[in-house]
Amino acid sequence: MLATVLSATLHGLDGRVIRVEVDVAPGLPGFSIVGLADTALQEARERVRGAIRNSGFAFPPRRITVNLAPADLRKAGAALDLGIAVGVLLGSEQVRATGRWALLGELSLGGEVRATAGLLPMAAALARRGVRHVVVPAEGETEARLGGIAEVVPAATLAEAVEALRGPGRARRQRPTPARIELGAPHGERAGPSDSPSARPLPPAQPSPWPDLAEVRGQLEARRALEIALAGGHGLLLVGPPGSGKTLLARTVPTLLPPLDDAEALRATIVRSVAGEPVTGLVRERPFRAPHHTSSYAAIVGGGPQLSPGEITRAHDGVLFLDELPEFSRDVLEALREPLEEGRVAISRAGRATVFPAAFQLVAAMNPCPCGRAGSEPESCRCPPGVPERYATRISGPLRDRIDLWVSMPRVAPAALVEDRVPEPSAIVARRIGLARARQLERAGVLNARVDGRRLRSLCRLTAESEGAFVALAERTALSARGAIRLLRVARTIADLAQAGPVSREHLEEAARFRAPVVDAVRARAS
Amino acid sequence: MLGVGRAGPRLDPSAGPDASRPVPDAAPASSVRRADPAPAERDAWAILASVAGLGPLTFAELVTRFGSARAVVESARRPGGSGRLAGLRSTAEPDRPLLGPDLLARLVEAAVGGEALLAQMRRLGLEALTLEDEGYPARLRAIELPPPVLFVRGDPAALAPTHAVAVVGTRRPSDGGRRVAARISSALARLGAVVVSGLAVGIDGAAHAAAVAEAGRTVAVLGGGHGHVFPRSHARLADEIVARGGAVVSELAPETEPTRWTFPRRNRLISGLSDATVVVEAGVRSGALITADWALEQGRECFLVPGGIDAPASSGCLSFLRTYGGVARIVAGVPELVEDLGLAGDEPDRAADRRRAGPRQRGNLVAILAELGATERLVAEALVAGRATVDELVAASDLPVASVLGVLTLLEMRGLVVGAYGRYQPAGRLAGVGPQAVRRSGAGRRPSTAGPRGAVDRAAVARPGDGVLP
Repeated sequence: MLATVLSATLHGLDGRVIRVEVDVAPGLPGFSIVGLADTALQEARERVRGAIRNSGFAFPPRRITVNLAPADLRKAGAALDLGIAVGVLLGSEQVRATGRWALLGELSLGGEVRATAGLLPMAAALARRGVRHVVVPAEGETEARLGGIAEVVPAATLAEAVEALRGPGRARRQRPTPARIELGAPHGERAGPSDSPSARPLPPAQPSPWPDLAEVRGQLEARRALEIALAGGHGLLLVGPPGSGKTLLARTVPTLLPPLDDAEALRATIVRSVAGEPVTGLVRERPFRAPHHTSSYAAIVGGGPQLSPGEITRAHDGVLFLDELPEFSRDVLEALREPLEEGRVAISRAGRATVFPAAFQLVAAMNPCPCGRAGSEPESCRCPPGVPERYATRISGPLRDRIDLWVSMPRVAPAALVEDRVPEPSAIVARRIGLARARQLERAGVLNARVDGRRLRSLCRLTAESEGAFVALAERTALSARGAIRLLRVARTIADLAQAGPVSREHLEEAARFRAPVVDAVRARAS
Repeated sequence: MLGVGRAGPRLDPSAGPDASRPVPDAAPASSVRRADPAPAERDAWAILASVAGLGPLTFAELVTRFGSARAVVESARRPGGSGRLAGLRSTAEPDRPLLGPDLLARLVEAAVGGEALLAQMRRLGLEALTLEDEGYPARLRAIELPPPVLFVRGDPAALAPTHAVAVVGTRRPSDGGRRVAARISSALARLGAVVVSGLAVGIDGAAHAAAVAEAGRTVAVLGGGHGHVFPRSHARLADEIVARGGAVVSELAPETEPTRWTFPRRNRLISGLSDATVVVEAGVRSGALITADWALEQGRECFLVPGGIDAPASSGCLSFLRTYGGVARIVAGVPELVEDLGLAGDEPDRAADRRRAGPRQRGNLVAILAELGATERLVAEALVAGRATVDELVAASDLPVASVLGVLTLLEMRGLVVGAYGRYQPAGRLAGVGPQAVRRSGAGRRPSTAGPRGAVDRAAVARPGDGVLP
């Protein structure tokens, strides 16, 4: 007979509801899956066969056809395993159930239900379709509940899932299962079907792994730049020799950012879910991602066989920190242009395309030259003449345009490292940043970095004096039109940090300190 | 080639500046002083000078045999005329032709394409100054094998001033080295001397820039042709040098690209155009030492700024001083250098001279500071006192970071500060002030640790509208 259950698959960051139709018909024994299933899904046949047998059911020696609808949507991942197995049991009349059920989860050969990536968006998709009852892997219960389903039933095994479908009235019948030997069971625990990784207690929560701003000695210019950048969502580039504290400073970012609001938190949790990281509740901490410069294009931008989100999506609504910026591959750096402009990234493959959110703030660091010692004293740069000057040009013009603040970090004098004056701690700076961000959101709905040029002029409200200073600065420092806009943007944020209404001359002058250095080589090439 | 080793001459250490100056008897027309050549003759000199590989000796021999450069060019240009050129025999070695086949081909090519060269010279605003010109710099005429032609942009008079001093050094100086170069150059410019250097990044650039900032005249000798100003980042500096009445010169035709061999050759012109050469900082293999070598070879004075024995940027200066201790001299300070150069007037008393230099510097600082607001003054003084990073400036001025950053922009727009890699340096007129001027005025110290004197200074500085420091 024909049995139908609901399940879901992932498409980008969205879940898609899948109807699993299982026809158990007379004929030569066989098991086929149709409906654009990927390799992992084709292998579901073997997992389902094993799980059914080892849970004490019989795998019917009939002609079994599984259809996954809609037929034109490419299905990926193993979350459909449980739905297919239950469909087989229903179709072969070993189990009876009523109601409208959806099932999510991957099966092991022994019949255990395992969590898969993306439970949250899949559960949310089912909830949107009005599904009220969903069976999910026990270890993914918390995550699935965030999706807004009325009744979430955790199941650690296929047998538990079947019990749930039958309803509470019936007594659970112990079925004889084939013998098994467990040598690969998780250590220190008894082997058994209910043994899942989530049963083990997690290690206790660590104290914040991020350094506090009070640990950063000296570097007043860079600290100030970081504060401005985080307050306005501006791109920031730290330039300094190794050991000047670039990475340490950047790693204080999570201690300085305000928490995510509800909508942002849900998005961040979905991203984490799709990325396959354990979800223990809504993610409230702003993302801070620091991929290594050897990371592949797909790892940073997104893609791969499953069209998975990359680091830039995982940094959505947060900060993407790229240490050693020029060492990233040219392709990766070029690919950052679209997300920096649009706040999202479109990934297209033959026949499929998806759009991931990628509204991240860029914080980057680099050495002043390939050997890293240009500008340090005593002079020790070993680069040939002209090379330090050209190093920054490895970052292409369009990317440079998206970096509002450039700041040099000279090596800190040893005296400053032992100075007894304690620098401002993160908490105080975070408060100023939070207030400045609130002002911007209230005024324009977005942070200054995302205000478009025309609107910016009206937001800045230059006085006669500051207008004059602006013109003079733009002329004397030979700013391009884009450079002038950047200057205004940063000045607006400085004014917001000072809780000031109009942008004053002092704000503009301070902002001008952080403008991009004029690279003569670039200029000469352009002219 | 000019018959000049690319590494420069290596001197016998016993040879001093008083060694007899080599008489350039081989140079053409040096003994025959006549009126300036006709324009067509001067053009012909320029065309001959653009022939790569035509050295001064062959150049002179050609002009002598043909009677004029014009005759040489016309002969080369005439179809079949090159036969006579090819038949010339070298005087020194009669069995060899004066012009090899390659050189002859280049000469014919240059003669035929002469108009293009002249057009390019007009486009770049160049003038050719030949050995036959009255205005050919006398100092340069006196060196061995002076270049037959100088391509000059700017005022040729800047090449023949009363006093000319070369200030050269490494392309990778320390902050301190850059400051010293600027102060020396600034002091020289104030005394009316022309600062000669090589337009390179580092010490050369600091020396030119400081002279320009003092509205002084300065001469840049290029390592390539005028069409290839190197480094390109100094193209604007070159424009400013010309705008201030200085000159940019090269012995090479405009199209000649700079190579690693043209720079050492150029260095003999830097020393040759100057009464003395001052090397501010030089590593062991620095080209500035070649200039110093040339200076001694040419019988000019040579000064080196000594440095710490573990400072890589000074190691070349120290080893040069060690080798040529008898003839190369030490720069003991800016007023002392001025005195040693004989620019300090008739005042023979060292101490009095130093006393005079001190207040003058301070007067200069006061004049600059008078144009600034109270906060700018605090930062400017800290800069002159040698504070370089924002951290140091904040500590010295006790101003908030935001103010210091804004003030740095203001000073930068006024041309009084330049920054690179997070370190800031006094620039322009501010670069010409030594730290002792600040020390004397009591400024530039951290106010919290300064004595009552510092407190008074701060009060005075903070008073609005106050023009001068106590």
